[in-house]
Amino acid sequence: MSDRVGAPPPSPPAEGATAVAPPPDEPPAPPRTRHRRAASGALRQDRAGYLFLAPWFAGMALFTIGPILASLYLSFTEYSLVKPPEWLGLDNYRRMLEDPRLAKSLLVTVQYVFVSVPVQLGLALALALLLNRGVRGLSFYRSVYYLPSLLAGSVSIAILWRQIFGSDGLVNQVLALFGVEGVSWVAHPDFALGTLIVLNAWTFGAPMVIFLAGLRQIPVSYYEAAEVDGASTVRKFFHITLPLLTPIIFFNLVLQMIGAFQSFTQAFVVSGGQGGPADSTLLYTLYLYQRGFGSFDMGYASAMAWTLLVIIAALTGLNFLLAKRWVFYSG
Amino acid sequence: MSIRSLRRLGALGLAGALLAATAACGGSSGGDDGTVELRFSWWGNNDRAAATQKVIDAFQKQNPGIKVTGSFADFNAYFDRLATEVASGDAPDVITLGGAYPREYGDRGALLDLATVKDVLKTDKIDKAALGNGNFGDTQYGVPSGVNAIGVVVDPVVFEKAGVELPDDETWTWDDFKRIAKEIAAKSPKGTFGLADPTKTDMLDIFSRQRGEALYTADGKVGISEQTLIDWWNMTLELRDSGATPSASQTAELITQPAPEQSLIGRGLAGMQFDWSNQIGALRKASGHPLRLMRVPGETGAKQPGSWLQASQLYTINAKTEHPKEAAKFVDFLVNSPEAGKIILTDRGIPSNSDVRTAIEPGLDEDQKVQVDYISGLTPKAGPPLVIGPTGSTDTPHILDRVNAEVLFNRLKPADAAKEFISQVTAAIQQ
Repeated sequence: MSDRVGAPPPSPPAEGATAVAPPPDEPPAPPRTRHRRAASGALRQDRAGYLFLAPWFAGMALFTIGPILASLYLSFTEYSLVKPPEWLGLDNYRRMLEDPRLAKSLLVTVQYVFVSVPVQLGLALALALLLNRGVRGLSFYRSVYYLPSLLAGSVSIAILWRQIFGSDGLVNQVLALFGVEGVSWVAHPDFALGTLIVLNAWTFGAPMVIFLAGLRQIPVSYYEAAEVDGASTVRKFFHITLPLLTPIIFFNLVLQMIGAFQSFTQAFVVSGGQGGPADSTLLYTLYLYQRGFGSFDMGYASAMAWTLLVIIAALTGLNFLLAKRWVFYSG
Repeated sequence: MSIRSLRRLGALGLAGALLAATAACGGSSGGDDGTVELRFSWWGNNDRAAATQKVIDAFQKQNPGIKVTGSFADFNAYFDRLATEVASGDAPDVITLGGAYPREYGDRGALLDLATVKDVLKTDKIDKAALGNGNFGDTQYGVPSGVNAIGVVVDPVVFEKAGVELPDDETWTWDDFKRIAKEIAAKSPKGTFGLADPTKTDMLDIFSRQRGEALYTADGKVGISEQTLIDWWNMTLELRDSGATPSASQTAELITQPAPEQSLIGRGLAGMQFDWSNQIGALRKASGHPLRLMRVPGETGAKQPGSWLQASQLYTINAKTEHPKEAAKFVDFLVNSPEAGKIILTDRGIPSNSDVRTAIEPGLDEDQKVQVDYISGLTPKAGPPLVIGPTGSTDTPHILDRVNAEVLFNRLKPADAAKEFISQVTAAIQQ
């Protein structure tokens, strides 16, 4: 017994005790381990997320950010596609100031944007109002009117356009019934851009769907109150619908303007890639393409691309500034 | 920890990028079984594509280790696509070019110097003048597919219906030409014309060479004078005003559709058209009429003959091809083998290899004989070789189309248009 009493305490528990006992200067261990476990769990989750993101990120870096930065560099060089680029400094931008075709293409593009976007939005709003009156088979009409938006960017529609507005096209055949001899609308400098504007306006489906959604948001009680007060349909439109719809109009306007500045396919196909006749359909992007791939002047084309970016950014900024004056947020 | 994970993420991204890059490069290098894959591109219609495929098949039969894939587009689209392919480093191994394009691409380092493959690609039997059309700055970039010349394609059916006599192409002048064009239009049903608006760079070459000038000078400058351009446009405006050529907008429309099947003469709607002699087969097929080839007006009594013999197309090899030997072997087959010649016949010009020319003669049909006869008749009477435009001059046809549209739509007077054309072309070739 004494033997046992005098004996030192069995070593294992003592060792165990010292091991378990926290050092005096450290905070209690359990919360820390818990924290660490939580962090590594979150990280593991993050990692899975990043892993799933990786293909997109690789694609984004490789095919979007990379080329964007490359084009910024190229815009300061002479680059003929085949030989390596040579540093030019601001020469490309300087040349742009003296380029009559660039000025012409800007003029054509501005005409195109400032005519086709209002026409397109007007059509979209008109159709949305009509469809919002509780038409039977709404989803059918909505699809039918949306269809051109899906098709019009395609080459086949542009070719169809050439057929319709060509010298032997549908338009002239109809005109001939009334004894009017038409010209080739797509190939006349006074009308060719007009046919492209009509084509763009025809794609009112996307803004129309957005308008329809916006119209549904307007509380019915407003109209009921107005009716009680004896307001006419026109008055209701101008005093309830239009003000409450301004955020949607603004959204559509910004989106469609940016899109219209970048139009390319229709002009390319309708004019056979030349922007003709006499540069009347020479949209900015089409001229950019011609300089880059027709004249092997990729440095200049890159400078044009960055200039377009600045123009679009400036106009969008202006849109936002002006919006304060006419866009009404009820919420 | 977070830095390490970021680094790991970066590595992952890099790996992904490399994977994508290798996938993109994997395209043309060839199969696992040691076969070499070549890509060959040309412009033209479906008939030409069918014939070319037969040539490819014949080549592959002789060379089991080589696989050739062809791709083609119409003339306008072809060069747009080629530019993007060259830019992305994904150009075909064997590229068909013409006119000033070999210089354009050669000067920019995109084409193989054919001297490096001369053991495989023989040029000793090729017509020297035509071979010269592929030689720029003492470097041979291209081998001619055949010989070609501009002529007037004449539709005897339209002439006969209008009751107009065919001209004597040994002696006719530009005045005769105008008179005939007007007569055809006047005596034909509405919608049939004397010809489509003839303004093309090739025609400016002919018109100016007859006056002792040329579109370009030998040292790479603009050679045509303002007066020549003014006279040209005065003539085409007279033709338009009299209804001998279509309205301005119809002309603008025709420019965007270069296929023979879409041309006025290809639809039987014109009595004449200036065109290259190797187009006669396609035009005859399109119109179904026994079209003829005649010499251009104004050759007799001119300072020098305006027409010339030219390589119709040139086969070139991509400087970055992985298989220059095999590509050269294929080009050699295209231009030097009677077997290929018997399939292509005169579709790419009269073969410039004399042996091939002799070999194909018995098998020629009516359409092709017309072409051979025209070239044979023209050869002793043609003017000096054409001065091919300098780098940048491939833009000239587009400049001409734009300025010509301004003239035809009465937005520019011929005198101003002449100044405009010369200044724009000068700017294009100085870049």
